[in-house]
Amino acid sequence: MKPVQLFCWHFMAYPYLARDFDEKEYTGWVTVPNSLWDNNKARGLYQEYIDQLAYADELGFDGMVLNEHHQNIYGLMPSPNIIASALTQRSLHGKIVILGNLLPLHMNPMRVAEEYAMLDQMSNGRLIAGFAPGGGPETFNYDVPSANTREKFWEAADLIVRSWTEDGPFAHEGRYFPLRYVNLWPKPLQQPFPPVWIPGSRSPSTMAEVAKRGYCYFLSSRSHGGETHRAQQEFAAVLEKHGDKYHPFRFGILMSTYVGETDQQAREECEEGVWYFLKNCLKGHLRRQGRQLTYGPGVPYIPAAAWREYLKDYKPGRKLLGDVENWEELDASQSIIVGSPETVTRRIQNLIEKAKVGNLLIQFQLGNMPDHLARKSMKLFAEKVAPALRHDSLKQFTTEYPGVNVESSAEALH
Amino acid sequence: MSGRVIDVNGRKVWLLEHGTGAPLLYLHGFADVHSVKENWLPFHDKLAQHARVIAPAHPGCGQTDENKDIDVIEDVAFHYLEVLDALQLTQFDLVGSCVGGWIAAELAVRHPERIRKLVLIGASGLFVEGALIGDVFMMAQPEYGQSYASLRQMLFASADQANALEMFPDGKGDLEDEVRRYQMLRLSSRIGFKPPYFYNRPLRNRLHRITSPALVIWGEKDNFVPHSHGETYARSIPGTGELKVVPGAGHSVHVEKPEETAKLVLDFLAK
Repeated sequence: MKPVQLFCWHFMAYPYLARDFDEKEYTGWVTVPNSLWDNNKARGLYQEYIDQLAYADELGFDGMVLNEHHQNIYGLMPSPNIIASALTQRSLHGKIVILGNLLPLHMNPMRVAEEYAMLDQMSNGRLIAGFAPGGGPETFNYDVPSANTREKFWEAADLIVRSWTEDGPFAHEGRYFPLRYVNLWPKPLQQPFPPVWIPGSRSPSTMAEVAKRGYCYFLSSRSHGGETHRAQQEFAAVLEKHGDKYHPFRFGILMSTYVGETDQQAREECEEGVWYFLKNCLKGHLRRQGRQLTYGPGVPYIPAAAWREYLKDYKPGRKLLGDVENWEELDASQSIIVGSPETVTRRIQNLIEKAKVGNLLIQFQLGNMPDHLARKSMKLFAEKVAPALRHDSLKQFTTEYPGVNVESSAEALH
Repeated sequence: MSGRVIDVNGRKVWLLEHGTGAPLLYLHGFADVHSVKENWLPFHDKLAQHARVIAPAHPGCGQTDENKDIDVIEDVAFHYLEVLDALQLTQFDLVGSCVGGWIAAELAVRHPERIRKLVLIGASGLFVEGALIGDVFMMAQPEYGQSYASLRQMLFASADQANALEMFPDGKGDLEDEVRRYQMLRLSSRIGFKPPYFYNRPLRNRLHRITSPALVIWGEKDNFVPHSHGETYARSIPGTGELKVVPGAGHSVHVEKPEETAKLVLDFLAK
């Protein structure tokens, strides 16, 4: 058994928007005018963000997390592999988690297989390979037809893993990506292949596909009420159905935190960055204001029968994370946990206890949060929160999952 | 309403039939039977007073099976060739609106001999430089969590007219209407999302193959498929007169001005 794994996730937001951005601009995604990009300010921004991730490695985080987004102010990583490449040279211990490459956006999945194999070699076997289908905004960014996104995604994911595990050359007789000569050079270092993580938002079909293949399921929701616990139970039930067994490292969640010396100081220090993140970065994604592009009838990637089920409980105009109006409401959403080391420890412990989750992917830098505050929060977390979380989770997991081989996942199945 | 399921090469196709007389195949668009409403609209009732109107639901719409092999418009054209065979329709009038008009044009360039007369209403399908067809997918994502005003504005002359609000209400409408709207968007995303949007570049240079007389109808205020597309259809199909513009109507001419539109169609078919 191992303790909870603590990862530092960086989204790399564009932090230089004017104060009246929300008032003046309709969205932060897809069509947000790129005339707002300011080279005078942005020079050195990637360096600052890469340095923060390298600092996470120094502080002893279990890994660094990157993901792919296009044409938005929320995440400036159209190619997370480029940042990952830099991290292979700037970090020594932590896993490099890419969550993930958006497979339907790539014309040829072999490019992903190759780049991931290179990153695994360059990092001495530290890659965690995430595959994601992309959401609504990416549909519009790259003109990806929605209806067959899921089929395309799984064909690409399976082809990549096959190219890592099966000797080439072989022909892939696929529906979407037929290839005559699949013959990967280089191969990934980790054997039989790097861990594979797949994000989902509680769709039963995604859980089933993940379970079938023995991968790790990552819940992409940003809020953590009862839903997180339910997602864990649902996934555990799906694993059971596939003759497999749940353990905490088959599951991961995304959360944000800010740690300050006291509750009061924490809130004061992070509030500007938090509101920048909620009101600007989530506009077009997790806000009602303007047009939400992430999910809906215009990006019809789930079958009509699943849409009918979704609609039954759907309440039009319901509040999304970015619609919270005050600090108390935000606090209740359990999305961004802010406070002293004691407060943050208690609240995250509570979350782990209930959701039995072994992979915490934590966002520290929020919106336009200045470098020194992001670093201070990371350091306080690493020194004053992480030890207790590791200690208590190890105890909990050992009791709750006796005799479970936590390395059992796809790697062991092969 | 009289509907039935037919078997087309192992797939289920749902269709409505109404009226007697010469067969008229109607292919639906967005604001239409099968893609919002389960039953006929007043426009179709008027046509059915003079013809046997047959309206199949597109693949994945209504009770018609979804077909995952559909990637491009040609796949839909071949689907309809099989529907025609199953219905034993050798000679018929063909009326298509919006995406249905695009499918009609694709059928007509392939099998001009089977079509007696062709009517295109606000048809997508053409690439016209500098006149992109609207992004109905983005407009289908609600604003402020529940407003479909910009979708209505794209599909009708104005966002707040009664028929637009009835077919595309804010918030959550009738569950089955919602599902039908979704099904139509899902089919459209297969054929109309890439290239952006709703066109087949070679179609324009194939239109000269159409041998039947043709009528092209457009709403005066079409905010989805620009007028120049109507003019291009009218100019490129040999047996076409002038583009018929219906004053005051938007893209969904047959919903917004059912009587005028039906009269234009019936007069043309009777000529």
